[in-house]
Amino acid sequence: MVGLGARVAGTRAGFTLAETLIALVLSSFIIGLVSHTFLVQNQYYSTQTLRTGAQDNARAATELMASEIRTTMEDGVLVAGPRTLTLRSPVTMTIVCSKVGFPNIDVFNDGGEGQIDTLEVAGVAARDPATGSWESANATWGYINSSAAGSAGNCADYGADTTGVSATFHRLRRFNLLLSAVPDEGDVVMLFRETTFKIQASQLDTTTLGLFRGVYGDSLLEFATGIDTTAQFQYRTGGTTYADTVPSAALSDIDAIRVVADARKAAPTGGQDDITFGWSVNVALRNIR
Amino acid sequence: MSERGRGGFVLVFVVFMLFAISVTAATGYLVVTSEFEMAKHSGQGAEALTVARAGLERFIAEQIGVVGDSVSYALGNGVALVTTRKIVQQDSVTDLYYVRSEGTVADFFAPNAPARRVVGGYAVHRRRPLAHHALAVLSNNQIVVDNGGEIDAEDRDNSGTCPGGDADEITGGIARVSVTAPDSDDLDGDPDFEVWPGGYTEILDSIGLRWDVLSDPGFPVEFENTLPNFGSIPSDSFPIIRYTGWVFANFAGRGVLIIDGMFDPGSSFDWEGIVLAGDVDDIIEGDLNGLLVGGLDGPATYATIDYRMRSHYHSCDVYAANETLSYLELLENTIFEAN
Repeated sequence: MVGLGARVAGTRAGFTLAETLIALVLSSFIIGLVSHTFLVQNQYYSTQTLRTGAQDNARAATELMASEIRTTMEDGVLVAGPRTLTLRSPVTMTIVCSKVGFPNIDVFNDGGEGQIDTLEVAGVAARDPATGSWESANATWGYINSSAAGSAGNCADYGADTTGVSATFHRLRRFNLLLSAVPDEGDVVMLFRETTFKIQASQLDTTTLGLFRGVYGDSLLEFATGIDTTAQFQYRTGGTTYADTVPSAALSDIDAIRVVADARKAAPTGGQDDITFGWSVNVALRNIR
Repeated sequence: MSERGRGGFVLVFVVFMLFAISVTAATGYLVVTSEFEMAKHSGQGAEALTVARAGLERFIAEQIGVVGDSVSYALGNGVALVTTRKIVQQDSVTDLYYVRSEGTVADFFAPNAPARRVVGGYAVHRRRPLAHHALAVLSNNQIVVDNGGEIDAEDRDNSGTCPGGDADEITGGIARVSVTAPDSDDLDGDPDFEVWPGGYTEILDSIGLRWDVLSDPGFPVEFENTLPNFGSIPSDSFPIIRYTGWVFANFAGRGVLIIDGMFDPGSSFDWEGIVLAGDVDDIIEGDLNGLLVGGLDGPATYATIDYRMRSHYHSCDVYAANETLSYLELLENTIFEAN
């Protein structure tokens, strides 16, 4: 009998059956162990990826919204519901430096027309220099934009320093048709966007909600998916408490908005619970008010 | 099994385990670092916005005199670069400026791509903020012009002295209860005097200056408790000089003299420009070619002022001094995020 593992010199004998069986058992055990470790790691990785995705969704969504909410203009909250928020915020702020082309006005705008997101312009608002309040009207960029040249020269005549920045002066038109009076030299004119944020069923993942954004005259676009059913908007009208709805008569009293953007992802394969991430931000309407 | 056979099996096993561990470690590292980077960039963006806003507000709060083109502040972990541009000259004493503040916060790991936020706003520049209500505006109950004192509010300057010279005659004196002069020639104005029963609060509300800012020791002025060498500065320079405490003023000079305390001018006092005082001694002497506003700190210590000062209205001296007090005032509701 040939002993286990022993080979006769000069022969080419293979593994014995017993050796093979033992090797198979051992290797199966080891492969099973390694596979289990790998699967556990993979499960953990999947969970972490989902958790990261959920957090990214929530954080990105609220960050985008916060910059618009923060700059909301006076009386700029138009709709304040638990799942719908419509507000006006400045695309840019200009100042009238000449009315030579009355009723057209020449204005200064930091960066010139190139810095204006013209597709988002939903209207104009003029600031009453005596009270600081705004009179506003809806209008598209195409309606108010004038291609007439000479704004920088007109403004220079009124004392503007146009050196090297003549492109930052621009002509706007039709204010006589939009506002009660054409703004005077020195009056501040805002071009504003009108944005609606809505929490509703996602178009990309039907198991969750999505956060949608739409500008004036345009359809809503989903920009964050995986929002939980607990997500909503809340409003503070002075004091410290937040409500999820504000009647129209009290919209101008809103001084802070909370965006509750809880996120949810379906459980990974083999997982038991959905991945959730509680996230909310409070944004004070401090920039314009 | 031979040594060779056993060694091969272990090698496969070890390589496989190393691979599995490497994959797990690499994915874990990526998850953690990407999260960390995102959170960091988000935080730096918010910080840059705060820096930009702080820079804008600090610039406007500290600005006095001629508006500079640009200034930069180190604030927290960032830098705010504030630039200005004159947009409209509303009238001879009022301009409108665009003030832009760019806040940047450096990223140690990406020095070429710092977080950056820009805010802009509009501000009115009041070039001659002090209102010419009267030659002598005091919060005391009574002013008695006597003992060689004189209040003459007819402009001694003419249009050749400076643009705007030969100004309209202003009120002679203002006090809470009365302004009198035994010799009526010593009190001349249009009208000779006015009564402001509101005292110092009425004065503070109407002079057009922020006395709380000007008298704040933290607010920088050109000369603190010392006079400049007037011979070494341009003759058309009207600097701001601030003294604190009980100031026995027996000196000569020009500019804006701020007395954060008791103004006690002696017979050698000789000033061209504007004097702003928190309180005024019961006897004031010397010469003044300009304007005096006294009693801004609160209720006056003395009910009656024995006004022995020879004071004449020189609009050009007042204009020049007033322009060094010019300041920016942010137009409410005009700050916006430019990017």
